[in-house]
Amino acid sequence: MSDQTFKDYVQDPANPVPPNLPNQPASAGLPSHVPPELVVTQWPLNTQEFLAAPYQFMADMHNNYPPVYYGLDPVRSSWGLLKHADCLHVLRNADTFRNLEAVPFPRDKENYFFFIPQEIDPPHHRKYRNIVDPLFSPAGIKKLEGKIRGRVNELIDQFIDDGECEFTLAFGRTLPVSIFLDIMGLPQDMLFTFASWGDEMIHGGSPEVSGAALAKAVEYLTGAIEEKKRNPDDGVISLIAHAEIDGRKISDKEAFGFVCFLFLGGLDTVYATLNNIWAWLAQNPDRVQEIIDRPDTDIDKIIEELLRRFSVVQASTRFVMKDIEIGGVQIKAGDRVNTLLPVANFDPDVFPDPLTVDFDRPRKTTLAFTVGVHSCMGGHLARMEVKTALQEWLRRIPKFSIKPGEKIEYKAGGVIGPDKVPLVW
Amino acid sequence: MPKVTYIESNGTEHTVDVAEGENVMRGALYNGIPGIEGECGGACSCATCHVYIAPAWWEKVGAPENEAETELLEGAAAPVKAESRLSCQIEVTSQLDGLVVHMPETQY
Ligand code: HEM
Ligand code: FES
Repeated sequence: MSDQTFKDYVQDPANPVPPNLPNQPASAGLPSHVPPELVVTQWPLNTQEFLAAPYQFMADMHNNYPPVYYGLDPVRSSWGLLKHADCLHVLRNADTFRNLEAVPFPRDKENYFFFIPQEIDPPHHRKYRNIVDPLFSPAGIKKLEGKIRGRVNELIDQFIDDGECEFTLAFGRTLPVSIFLDIMGLPQDMLFTFASWGDEMIHGGSPEVSGAALAKAVEYLTGAIEEKKRNPDDGVISLIAHAEIDGRKISDKEAFGFVCFLFLGGLDTVYATLNNIWAWLAQNPDRVQEIIDRPDTDIDKIIEELLRRFSVVQASTRFVMKDIEIGGVQIKAGDRVNTLLPVANFDPDVFPDPLTVDFDRPRKTTLAFTVGVHSCMGGHLARMEVKTALQEWLRRIPKFSIKPGEKIEYKAGGVIGPDKVPLVW
Repeated sequence: MPKVTYIESNGTEHTVDVAEGENVMRGALYNGIPGIEGECGGACSCATCHVYIAPAWWEKVGAPENEAETELLEGAAAPVKAESRLSCQIEVTSQLDGLVVHMPETQY
């Protein structure tokens, strides 16, 4: 890599300029430090084989793939890491492995902005997290428990008497959107609109449809920030819009990049997680009974294990700042690495018999929310949503199954989750 | 507000106010104190908020209350001692005003 100007790049969130990182398109040929036997010609988590049985496929990768492989891509080739220890190493060394351009979302170079906090590296990163962390901390989320539980029950009220529902639409989509609107300080009458944007973004079928849905969301959020600047309230958008960073007022671009990232990060993830878990529950009535029979105090470890087993975010991507060896493989400054989070959660050295859902596993660091400084800001909210949903659902609908004749299918996309989950009870 | 003193492994002391109801891990993060990572945000699933409770406070703070913390502590990077706790599991209360914790050399 001759172009090493990224080494001199200084990130200034107040004056965002694109880092212009080098890419390694497959057409440029294999970089000389990459051993040909480590090359994989396709992003594995998008293939037909993967979609046929994603979690089985990811567990099998520990047998079928080199633990450190180089994945060719027409635009950005990158390393893939499968081992738990290698992933932790990368994610916990934010100086060597940076989050620049971590969100693969095209932006106008002349009018650049960062997705916050995801694309902000230390030392600036924590300043942004401190603005909202109090709301998203365990203590902050605990305050929302009653409200979230109430919302779960209202949703169940709407379909319980039907004896069936298509879970992803009736619950998986609506719960996170509805809670998100509350937390952000947006009106519940946007529920349907937000839900359909989300649906078009994931299931739109073409980049045009998904792009158009995203554009509408962006326009709406921009308007909402302006509105909150004029009329402050206690929601997250208002908190961000009125925040101060280093004694100056947050800029419009910062507020936008922050709010927009919450929208991108906080909806589809919970959606896919719920859909995965409910598809599994519906096919495992004995495990449902086990959860019901366990003492209430087990609920946290039940949730942690379900999040490990059904991790939905495929990877954390980091940009490599200096030459380094990982798992005996030479990786160079200018490369990109992906820590494959669900795959690391299936590392048999750390989680023996990884596909088995075992609520009594010894506690180990799991990567569903990634680790390191960028670990998920919404993790406690997500846990609370899954927890209250599980408790209330099993209390009210303890016996349910997949609708006869229906099959669970997965579609390609950024987060891993079944396309439809038709249930009957 | 209760005060908490965090002492780095090199001896540097930081005394800060931490709101009641918050946990000891958050108090360090909000105040930019190095030595506690708290990467799981307090979900008791990372063991990167390991601290040693100063002797005077052992009794008041007490041992881990749940199995999850005891289990996870075993995986902490720095040596685990009798006075080790995961600071995200310690809630700051008026009884703990003046609490002193020592931070290990490393959390990873
Ligand atoms: C089960 C649901 C969720 C999962 C599995 C999940 C997963 C993740 C992962 C893996 C990352 C790290 C990405 C990376 O390293 O590249 C992340 C970051 C983040 N997530 Fe989540 N997330 C979930 C829910 C939420 C929710 C509900 C919110 C907020 C409303 C949220 C907000 C964020 C933010 C702001 C970041 C960036 C943190 C930073 O860079 O400091 N997430 N999440
Ligand atoms: S912050 Fe992760 S265990 Fe305490």
